[in-house]
Amino acid sequence: MATSGTASTFRPSISASSRSTHLRSSPFKAPSFNPLPPSRSRSFSVSCTIAKDPTFLMAEAENTKAAGSDPTTWKRPDSFGRFGKFGGKYVPETLMHALSELETAFYSLATDEDFQRELAGILKDYVGRESPLYFAERLTEHYRRENGEGPLIYLKREDLNHTGAHKINNAVAQALLAKRLAGQHGVATATVCARFGLQCIIYMGAQDMERQALNVFRMRLLGAEVRGVHSGTATLKDATSEAIRDWVTNVETTHYILGSVAGPHPYPMMVRDFHAVIGKETRRQAMEKWGGKPDVLVACVGGGSNAMGLFHEFVDDTEVRMIGVEAAGFGLDSGKHAATLTKGDVGVLHGAMSYLLQDDDGQIIEPHSISAGLDYPGVGPEHSFLKDMGRAEYYSVTDEEALEAFKRVSRLEGIIPALETSHALAHLEKLCPTLPDGARVVLNFSGRGDKDVQTAIKYLEV
Amino acid sequence: MSSTKIQIRGQPLSKVLTRNHGMINSVVCGVPIKRHHRVSNVLRTSDPPLGSVPTRTDESQFLRGDGNGRFGRFGGKFVPETLISPLRDLEDEFNFVLNDHEFQEELTTALRDYVGRETPLYFAGRLTEHYKNISQTTGGGPEIYLKREDLSHCGSHKINNALGQAMIARRLGCKRVVAATGAGQHGVATAAACAKFSMECTVFMGTADIEKQSSNVLSMKLLGAQVKSVEGTFKDASSEAIRNWVGNLETTYYLSGTVVGPHPSPLMVREFQSVIGKETRRQAKQLWGGKPDVLVACVGSGSNALGLFHEFLGDEDVRLVGVEAAGLGLDSGKHSATLAVGDVGVYHGSMSYLLQDDQGQILKPHSIGVGLEYPGVGPEISFLKESGRSEFYTATDQEAVQACMLLSRLEGIIPALEASHALAFLDKLVPTLRDGAKVVVNCSGRGDKDLDTLIQRGMPSSLC
Repeated sequence: MATSGTASTFRPSISASSRSTHLRSSPFKAPSFNPLPPSRSRSFSVSCTIAKDPTFLMAEAENTKAAGSDPTTWKRPDSFGRFGKFGGKYVPETLMHALSELETAFYSLATDEDFQRELAGILKDYVGRESPLYFAERLTEHYRRENGEGPLIYLKREDLNHTGAHKINNAVAQALLAKRLAGQHGVATATVCARFGLQCIIYMGAQDMERQALNVFRMRLLGAEVRGVHSGTATLKDATSEAIRDWVTNVETTHYILGSVAGPHPYPMMVRDFHAVIGKETRRQAMEKWGGKPDVLVACVGGGSNAMGLFHEFVDDTEVRMIGVEAAGFGLDSGKHAATLTKGDVGVLHGAMSYLLQDDDGQIIEPHSISAGLDYPGVGPEHSFLKDMGRAEYYSVTDEEALEAFKRVSRLEGIIPALETSHALAHLEKLCPTLPDGARVVLNFSGRGDKDVQTAIKYLEV
Repeated sequence: MSSTKIQIRGQPLSKVLTRNHGMINSVVCGVPIKRHHRVSNVLRTSDPPLGSVPTRTDESQFLRGDGNGRFGRFGGKFVPETLISPLRDLEDEFNFVLNDHEFQEELTTALRDYVGRETPLYFAGRLTEHYKNISQTTGGGPEIYLKREDLSHCGSHKINNALGQAMIARRLGCKRVVAATGAGQHGVATAAACAKFSMECTVFMGTADIEKQSSNVLSMKLLGAQVKSVEGTFKDASSEAIRNWVGNLETTYYLSGTVVGPHPSPLMVREFQSVIGKETRRQAKQLWGGKPDVLVACVGSGSNALGLFHEFLGDEDVRLVGVEAAGLGLDSGKHSATLAVGDVGVYHGSMSYLLQDDQGQILKPHSIGVGLEYPGVGPEISFLKESGRSEFYTATDQEAVQACMLLSRLEGIIPALEASHALAFLDKLVPTLRDGAKVVVNCSGRGDKDLDTLIQRGMPSSLC
């Protein structure tokens, strides 16, 4: 089925184990849909309120440790679409049917040879996979310590994909799926709609449209209709809400191509599985190159799609360390950042329970990052789960540190990283001195930086 | 540098820098060249390929210039005395690396892991369908494939050559590289390769071009290169870069971006680009068990065209079609259609077709595809035209823009305006082909750099 060089495209991950001792036993009832996350004063059967109670936290931690330290037993997700207590399907009734249909279609694709073959062909000939695993010699040299020791840095080159980022992996698969279902993410979506002859509508915050005027033009050139959203703060979270509203209204004829591993089940699972080709290729390439596995995986985290794409394959390999890097914007104490997993609290946003940046009234805090792709006040539920389980570690990096890394990697390797990717690259400064000699680091080079050149020049003296 | 219609070889050109006589030694970048690999003009042995760089399948008279870098009457080495030695040494070094296992392996690895080769040969289903619908025939129509050089690192085919030559520069011990760029793609590719191999890089670019391709200029700077502006366009930047090289021969490597210039440049650049055609042969075999029927590529100076064509020169059943820039129309005087209306002369060190007036002064070229804006063309291309092996046509600015928009809408690929010229010609070509004919178009670059130009042109209202 898959032609040489392409990983088998995806397998929906259904947990083998039926044991779920780590899950809370309370049945999961989706509350009625409310576009704003519920304030913490409401009571829920799954608790955001109780999360603040330290005694409960300890009990839960014990529970988790006792039952859940073996990743192979985790359900990622379970049949309700939950990763531990995260995830789920917090949506209005009108969407429930569409989501179930989507889920059924998605599972059936796993055994659909025609679909797999077509997807593999598109990934190879249209997107340009497989993307190389590139040994970054000068970056490795940069982190070499005085005694000659240091880690070895490899870059997974998602920047070489068509449209310049990992986003296309998911977009092509979902477009193919949409066709069957008889809808650095807008550009990828417009691209695949052009390719498959689908009508494409893209919702974008009016503020973002200004910041990304060139990308808006690209989307229109590719034939998509771009609708500006002026409500709220006119950024991504408002555009997402508007897109979901449109979808609810037109659910019979419209497929919603969600760009990240957020949103209601089955999206987090689907988007992750469509990106999992990244990790699968990496496993094979690592075996070819050094006959082993990576020691550390590093990726930037906005919604979490590129990180899950790299991590997913290795979650069960507990000796592989997984590190996500969020945006600390002007600094974690400034209030202007997007470090959801570091500074957020649990709540519901856009249909899923996860960590989010919210104030004491449960209102979403406007995030900030110099990189638009990390500028999201939530994070995918599976990341929230991996954090709570201690399987993955999450750190953050400021705008300034990201810009420095942007410049550094351009100069050392002749590859201009996206500002999002630059966050992961910046974290190497703190990480590498702690790693043993010869440790192999694979960093997801999630996108190229051509789109950020104008922004960066303003800040950097070049 | 000005030129007359036909120039007698060896005659010094005016405006040439006088150099001190210490430069007569055979030294490039201060490193004495080892002579052991001085094999006369044998480009490679008949041994099986080293690494995975496939060798040519056929040896015919088309395949190489003669000993002096001549392709028929074109090519040659019209340079001042001071450059003859360094050029000969460069040629020797190049011949050596062609057969050097270590070099070839490193290059192959870099092409694979750094550049992202091999680039796909993509069946453009909706474009094929589009032409089928227009022609309204009952048959299947020709099939259109795109060779996706747009997916390469830095967004065009230029990196294939920049990488190979940067590796040669490093072998020669050069610390500094100079280059000239038109659209900026070669400049960016050179800057990237120099960053990777930790060499200093200076790129010369025409002021007119700097304005039109500002994001490429910023990219070069971010990659650590110095960008020097030169009044005029690519041809003036080229002249300045060459002057800079001649003035710093001991430390500097001149990295030519295309198949023009004195021997061995045309040969070297073509060899490094020929990976495009080699991959295409293998992919065509895999995809449909045969060869392409027609190859189409845009022609500025000719590097992407030769990169695709060269592998197939010996296959007489493969048609080779080059498309030049007709700008605002061939009668307007604002175009770059060198082969269509030019005359033979010497320019930038080699004999080839060029756009010149009655006094032999170089005419100012124009194209919306900045990378095609060159008043000359590679000598090997001139030879292919004169020998009849390749056919050459033109496409206007307008036709190129329309082709760009068409591919964006139908395939979700935004091609560079240069490559759009090749795509534009499909309108005329496809109706003349038989059903099932396999057309391979070299999609030589992506169009992100051209968005500002396209915005200025405005979009047809049906697209908004």
